Amino acid sequence: MSEQTARLIRTLLLIFLGLWLILTLFPLYWQFITAFKSAAETNRTIPSFWPEVWHFENLVSVFAEPTNFSALVDSFIIATGNTIASLVLGSLAGYAFARFPRQAGGENLAFWILSNRMFPPVAVLVPMFFLFDAMPWGTDSYLSLIILYLVFNMPLATWLMMVFFRDAPRELEEAAYLDGYTPLRAFVKVTLPLVLPGMISVAMLCWIFAWNEYLFANLFVGTQVRTFTIVIPTFTHGSQTLWNLQMAFSMIAMLPPVALFILLRRYMVRGLSLGVVKG
Amino acid sequence: MAAIRLTQVNKIYRSRGHAVHAVKDLDLTVEDGEFVAILGPSGCGKTSTLRMIVGLEDITGGDIFFDGQRVNDLDPQARNVAMAFETYALYPNFTIEENLSFPLEVRGVPAAERRKKVHDLAALLRIEDILGQKPAALSGGQQQRVSLGRALIRDPAVFILDEVMSHIDAHLKFQMLFELKRIHRELGKTMIYVTHDQVEALALADRVAVMSNATLQQVGTRNQLYHEPVNVFVADFIGEPPTNFFPAELDPAGDQPVLRAKNAALTFSVAAERGQRLAASGQRDFVVGLRPQNLRLDGTEVGEPPPGGTLTAEVAINEYVGERTVLTLVADGHRFRAQAHAETTLGRGEQVRLRYASSDVMVFDAKTEALVA
Repeated sequence: MSEQTARLIRTLLLIFLGLWLILTLFPLYWQFITAFKSAAETNRTIPSFWPEVWHFENLVSVFAEPTNFSALVDSFIIATGNTIASLVLGSLAGYAFARFPRQAGGENLAFWILSNRMFPPVAVLVPMFFLFDAMPWGTDSYLSLIILYLVFNMPLATWLMMVFFRDAPRELEEAAYLDGYTPLRAFVKVTLPLVLPGMISVAMLCWIFAWNEYLFANLFVGTQVRTFTIVIPTFTHGSQTLWNLQMAFSMIAMLPPVALFILLRRYMVRGLSLGVVKG
Repeated sequence: MAAIRLTQVNKIYRSRGHAVHAVKDLDLTVEDGEFVAILGPSGCGKTSTLRMIVGLEDITGGDIFFDGQRVNDLDPQARNVAMAFETYALYPNFTIEENLSFPLEVRGVPAAERRKKVHDLAALLRIEDILGQKPAALSGGQQQRVSLGRALIRDPAVFILDEVMSHIDAHLKFQMLFELKRIHRELGKTMIYVTHDQVEALALADRVAVMSNATLQQVGTRNQLYHEPVNVFVADFIGEPPTNFFPAELDPAGDQPVLRAKNAALTFSVAAERGQRLAASGQRDFVVGLRPQNLRLDGTEVGEPPPGGTLTAEVAINEYVGERTVLTLVADGHRFRAQAHAETTLGRGEQVRLRYASSDVMVFDAKTEALVA
């Protein structure tokens, strides 16, 4: 390849990446500027691409309804509670499938667990509602969503953890048995630290799913418990939509996952590449 | 320390309807303080045997005793065995010092005593300078020694070493073999060493147990395995280059019985008394085994040659392998090898006469492949 064609390919690639970047960043940019516009400015037929006046008070007005802040807290409780439950159950199940496939029910059971993720969630929306309504904790509680999201997050956690445990050398546990550890201690002290990077990336995926979930939350909760996802539509009133407040609120709701990702990105990358290279 | 006894031990792996018989009716006794090697090709059942001894694998049939106590139903933790793994199995998130003291920590040994033991052992294994590092930073040989150290640090009933030299380069291996032998002599502990490399097994062990095809073939010292192999497999497996085999028929005619190679004009003479025993067995078909080391070029011996016979053959390949030369020869369609002095300059196509002692001729039953005389 001549130097000229190489440079051409490089330029084309850069142009493509630039376009891609514009495409992905535009919604974020739009969210950002809209969050600081006045309500009138958001409703113009010819949109403005930069706020005429910066209305920083929008960030405060979204909390005029005090339950809006507690919705963020509720979402956090549900996402975190669900993530912990998914990790505990998923790690144990994944470990069982990785180490004792026959005793744990074999491939069929493992596949059945995964298949729970494959149906369209809408299909079970109404049955789930009646099912949870019959439970002592009802539908409008933390527990209902924490348990319900397990339907989606536990199969994911189980399968990913199974792959990570398969890659963790068995000899290490056997060495720990011979050195005097019980199977449970060997699992906690020797094997878990090995799969920790993978576990953190699984935790991120579970947490973000539970944080963002709207469909079930909208039907299940709303009075005792409110997640932020069902607060966002409340900025739409009969006659108008307060786009600026909606964007301001959703921007605030974006901060926790972004912060989490920045904090844990080192593990995330390591976790996703775990098992790619044999050590 | 303990003596280990295996009686009629069987291991069958079952999965999805088909069963693999990995160990068949194994009887083996390892004396207290003895160094025994289990030697065999890959898949012969030696690792399964060892995993049953340490308790990582269920025993399908038979019993294992440590000093007379049946341990079949004991967990690995309760058997008090130490094992060094082929893959080292060092805990990657611990330092070398933590790896070494781990088995002591589990047993509640006080910190000061742990430190002292670790440093004593590190001196023995010459790894004092790497105690603060993580396993990933170490070379294969260093990891190997640490893994050995972790097995040696406590006082187990038996040490099990599984293919521990397989990832070490030849030069270091030689040194490690020597050190392992030294450690065994200094500690006087029961050791079971599993390997597929006969050089390691013969160099280290008091006795070697040869396994093949899930079955224990023979247990014995180096000399027993070399001079009195019980069957064709052992004769073939022990010794380098491997033994030459010739399918042969007994020709009882004449006063001196001879074994005649099939489809060839090669004959092997045996002592008269032995020939008569062969003739008395009623068998006609045998396999003759003759080690390359026992086939000497005519005229190169010192002194009077022992009673035996000669073979005439043509040189096909002359391989110079360091301190000796291996000749591949062809006689009447039969290929076989002979060992000669390093300076041998014989080239392809040259005719040679080889002399052997009739006492070195091994005769096996053609059907059962067992040694008959």
